Amino acid sequence: MIEYIIKIKRIQKNIFQDAWVWKMAWRDGRHNLSRLFLFSASLITGIAAVVAIASLNYSLQDELNRNAKELLGADLVINSNKKFTNEIFSAIDTAKQKIAEDADMASMVMFMHTKQSRLVKLTAIKGDFPFYGEMLTLPINAYQLVKTGKYAMLDESLATQYEVSSEDSIKVGNTIFKVAGVVTKIPGGGGLTSTLAPAVYISLDALDSTGLVQFGSRVGYSLYIKTTTESQTKLLIDRVKPLSKKLGFGYETVEARREGLGQGFRSVYQFFSLLAFVALVLGCIGVASSVHIYAREKRDEVAVLRCVGSSGWQAFNIYFIQIFILGLAGSLMGAALGVGIHQIIPYAFKEYIPLKLEFAISIRAILEGIFLGGIVSILFTLLPLISVRFVPPLTVLRADFNAGKIRSKSKNAAIVLIVLFPILAAAYQTKSFISGGFFAVGLGVALACLTAVAYALLFLVRRYFPTNASFIWRHAMSNLFRPNNQTRVLMVAIGLGAFIIATLNIIQNSLLNQVEFTGNKNQSNTILFDIQPNQKKGVVKLIKDQKLPVNQVVPIITCRLKELKGKTIEEIQKDTTRIPEWALTREYRVTYRDSLTSSEELIKGELPKYVPGKKDSVRVTISEGMHETLQVKVGDSLLFDLQGVPLKVKISGIRKVNWPKDPPNFIFVFPTGILEKAPQIFVAATRVDEPTQASKFQQALVINFPNVSLIDLRLILSTVTELFGKIGLVVRFLALFSIVTGLIVLAGAVINSKFIRMKENVLLRTLGARTSQITKITLIEYAYLGIFSALTGMILSLGGGWLLTRFFFEVEFAVNTFELLAISGGVIFLTVFIGWFNSREVISTPPLQVLRKES
Amino acid sequence: MSDIVLQSEHLTKTYRSGDRPLTVLDDVSFQAEQGTSLAIIGPSGSGKTTLLGLCAGLDVPTSGTISLMGFKLNAMSEDDRAYVRNQFVGFVFQNFQLLPTLTAFENVMVPLELRGEKNIAAKAKDWLARVGLGDRMNHYPTQLSGGEQQRVAMARAFMTNPRILFADEPTGNLDEENASQITQLLFEINREAKTTLVLVTHNLELAQKTERILQMKGGKLVSEKILINN
Repeated sequence: MIEYIIKIKRIQKNIFQDAWVWKMAWRDGRHNLSRLFLFSASLITGIAAVVAIASLNYSLQDELNRNAKELLGADLVINSNKKFTNEIFSAIDTAKQKIAEDADMASMVMFMHTKQSRLVKLTAIKGDFPFYGEMLTLPINAYQLVKTGKYAMLDESLATQYEVSSEDSIKVGNTIFKVAGVVTKIPGGGGLTSTLAPAVYISLDALDSTGLVQFGSRVGYSLYIKTTTESQTKLLIDRVKPLSKKLGFGYETVEARREGLGQGFRSVYQFFSLLAFVALVLGCIGVASSVHIYAREKRDEVAVLRCVGSSGWQAFNIYFIQIFILGLAGSLMGAALGVGIHQIIPYAFKEYIPLKLEFAISIRAILEGIFLGGIVSILFTLLPLISVRFVPPLTVLRADFNAGKIRSKSKNAAIVLIVLFPILAAAYQTKSFISGGFFAVGLGVALACLTAVAYALLFLVRRYFPTNASFIWRHAMSNLFRPNNQTRVLMVAIGLGAFIIATLNIIQNSLLNQVEFTGNKNQSNTILFDIQPNQKKGVVKLIKDQKLPVNQVVPIITCRLKELKGKTIEEIQKDTTRIPEWALTREYRVTYRDSLTSSEELIKGELPKYVPGKKDSVRVTISEGMHETLQVKVGDSLLFDLQGVPLKVKISGIRKVNWPKDPPNFIFVFPTGILEKAPQIFVAATRVDEPTQASKFQQALVINFPNVSLIDLRLILSTVTELFGKIGLVVRFLALFSIVTGLIVLAGAVINSKFIRMKENVLLRTLGARTSQITKITLIEYAYLGIFSALTGMILSLGGGWLLTRFFFEVEFAVNTFELLAISGGVIFLTVFIGWFNSREVISTPPLQVLRKES
Repeated sequence: MSDIVLQSEHLTKTYRSGDRPLTVLDDVSFQAEQGTSLAIIGPSGSGKTTLLGLCAGLDVPTSGTISLMGFKLNAMSEDDRAYVRNQFVGFVFQNFQLLPTLTAFENVMVPLELRGEKNIAAKAKDWLARVGLGDRMNHYPTQLSGGEQQRVAMARAFMTNPRILFADEPTGNLDEENASQITQLLFEINREAKTTLVLVTHNLELAQKTERILQMKGGKLVSEKILINN
């Protein structure tokens, strides 16, 4: 016998050189095209969501870059809460530049035709604002009329809400203005801004006549400057910069506005893109699960190929090519769908976007989507497909042969890559490894919890399912445990969508519940502010005359910080301290009293008591949270600037404040005996229950004290509700992608188990089952699946919602059972429908046809 | 004396059954020469199929050595053994083991395609015609009867001109008439191609058509019978 050389020198071909694997991929795939397509369809919705959101982001960023000046309306804007001094005007060199001014403040307006009143953002304008972009009004000449000083314009939403027409007039402070028209577009306005604070525009020259600007009024002044060249703008900024610290004003450049808005959009984009990413990950799980079953079914064929000489990698490549090409096709379709959705977004969400978006197609977003789809279709199918490499050829002789646990480097590498992928992808979306890591961990925890709940539910149901239930109910239940049924994967996929929607609903309800003030009947819901000292008695009398309770009359003194723990603010700003700028430079509104209110609790130190004459004896309390922001503790010293008078204080205690409860609440509270003589204004709080009484009271207030403004917390409630409605719509829209993905995975699972189901049905028919019984079993099976999926999502959302409301939002946990049941009902209906729709063939196939196929 | 194509020495195969080891093949040694035929017979569970699997390199023994065409299979990787199978071995199985997604014609071409050979279509057609399926080349396995499927499997096995053919109960799933036709065809082609035939069967009548019969029992080779007339 000849001894051959033991070492074989086979020609190793890679996937691109080996034409046979491509040929085999096609030969094998042509019979499974529809089924393979369904695998990749799970990716379509996820990729569509990712592409749509990324396209929107790129369009917004492009638009921001193109129209940054239009957003600001000028080359430079100077902002101050004091009237501009000549020093500023001379620095700007007003003779050479075009300037416009405005002053804005919160104020009450009364709509004369209905005598209703409302708190608005009053904007008094002067000059040809805007210099860039446009102010669109209806009628066109409305702004010209406003400039005369006798007219006012309203935000379109406000005019619609109060049914104001150009025939009507409004009362602002002491003055009645005729309505010139409505503002449909203005740089820096519109969208969410007008939802939160609808504006009324008057001429700046007419502001004084209203009598609204008094001591303590919070007025924001802005100066809009148009330069002729970029270099002139730069020169101007160089001149303004040193003055800003000295005179205490701020300024905003086109670049800063673009950055600010861009940053805002990016944050929102990151949140939404992560939601879209969740849909993609769900799709990946669906694909991986389906491919796992597909690869298992291909075991026998692989064993034959191995028998006739195919290498493990060749067998792997055949199925890898199929899955990758279809994954790519799914990504392409997803990208196309994403582009379609992107075209609709500007219409659907125009209120959120202060820019007019072009219907541009973002090639970058499309390529990113396709690339992402390609990557995930490789990654998530790698693990089940790698098992193909290790199918023992002996399987052709012994179908039940098991080669035992396979350890392979490629399998370990695939696991590492799968774990890394969500982290890297989320880090790319959020542009931060830390955020990406947190998201990936969060998603992992959520999926692990969903899986645990799914397992626990199935275990309990199986264990405690009534044994005396009718055959149909028992058989439908046992179908859930059929091999390859993917029940747990489906529960996780559909449950995750339900979880997102339900959690959003719980948070929304909890926050609204907090604003609703349904608990304490004595809690204030109407706050009156800007009350001058000489008006205090009159306002209190007015409240009492209306038979309303005077819950609080609180003095307010404005001041700024000059020193913190012996260091000046300027020194701290130069340090690498982490104290935020706003906390150091803001205007603080403080009050004085010797006791705590019902919304406060002393958690450290003691309540201060002023001892006249004793040196260094002024002590204050600070609110919890702010002491962390300012990095101070009990015993630390602060120096306040009380309208030019320095006042050194020490922190004597820290208060925990329940901010929404019984407003107004304060960061700093002084003891009595110190600030009584300081210039101050008052805030009063009352409770009005009846809308008619509220309207009557507001009317009387506007007539008698036009400068006093009133916040109706019920109005805030409706604004918050409206805001939630709008934001919730986007979140629900994106969560829907997760549910749709789950349903596609469901359709795939139904088709995967089609033949097994057909055989079961044939057996049942042979034993005498009627079509109606088989239909019932099918419907009940999917109803179970829907119920368990919804329940999985609901259980987790209750847990997640409780954690979020308790520790993140710090509000009371509130659940609207009816709404959660409605969400569950929707999920169950969709599951039953998709399950039934894909099972029609299974139900209707004649038994003989199946038996023939089987034989 | 002709060349030894297959040589097994002290082959032992042990599986784990729960916590206990289960020896399914115990110290089996035999050899097969080029162009000869032998049958391995024995009751169910006697280790016939395990022996065939080890001889064909579909699995490796727990101990002992197996040489196929001079290649020591138990020292080779799975992919190297696949290469040896592709170069020298043909298979015919009881369950035909055709690829269901490929036509008869495509099934027959697979082994030579794996070798990377070109212009093999004519050869595949010839083989299909030889087994009497010239007019059913484009049919899928599910469209063929059991006998026809086994003919396709035989065409696939002989397509590579193998040096050794392993047949596992080749007529086990066929009716009497088809079984007889397949048996005749198998021995006829085998004789023409001078292929070594290793046949595993329960069917004593079929076994007696070979030149040698190895009797297995309880994992051991208990007797060897040489049939001079064949």
